[in-house]
Amino acid sequence: MSGALAAAIAVGLAALGAGVGNGLIVSRTVEGIARQPELRGQLQTTMFIGVGLVEAMPIIAVVIALIVM
Amino acid sequence: MHCDLLHFCYEGSGPAKRAHTEGIYHARFYWEKSQIMSYSGMTVNRQRKWMLYLLALFVLGAGFTPYPRIFLGLLLGGAASFYNLWLLQRKVSALAESVETNKRATGIGTLSRMAAAVLAVFIALRYDAYFDMIFVIVGLMTSYLVIVIDFFMSESEE
Repeated sequence: MSGALAAAIAVGLAALGAGVGNGLIVSRTVEGIARQPELRGQLQTTMFIGVGLVEAMPIIAVVIALIVM
Repeated sequence: MHCDLLHFCYEGSGPAKRAHTEGIYHARFYWEKSQIMSYSGMTVNRQRKWMLYLLALFVLGAGFTPYPRIFLGLLLGGAASFYNLWLLQRKVSALAESVETNKRATGIGTLSRMAAAVLAVFIALRYDAYFDMIFVIVGLMTSYLVIVIDFFMSESEE
């Protein structure tokens, strides 16, 4: 029971962090592309580097939560 | 007269010349578009290339070293990671396209990537004799390492 609770808290906090981080990255990228469509390629590259960095931690958290559970 | 790929030498006149000039404008537009796109396209291809190199290395490790369990774990995690990388690139590109063309945007597939990681872990838990769990997790992080190292390498080259 406590294992499941720990897993739920870990996944919840990880999802919260990923949501906030991804939201910031995507909003700035969308704003940038809307302002300067010719910079789409560079902004897109920066976006998926950012999303990759942000999402590494939640994925580890989900996997570890699964193992703990 | 300056002649190259974009500045054609054309000596005609009338409708044929007008059509030719419009053709040059179209060619220039698509060339500029392809130059913009090629920046992200190059990055995408480079990252996929490095992932494929790493996966090939894991296959060799699983086949020819005395640690097949470790390398099979890395291979399983790496395969899931490659799928995650492909999905990330595809979703980001679709999002940027929808912003540019003012269409309805979709998500960036975070849940699908987490589900892929969970699937890899489930497979490793089910076939524990073949896959080392720790190295499955290390393998899952391969694409993120590739993204970061590729970013710093391309920055230093520029």
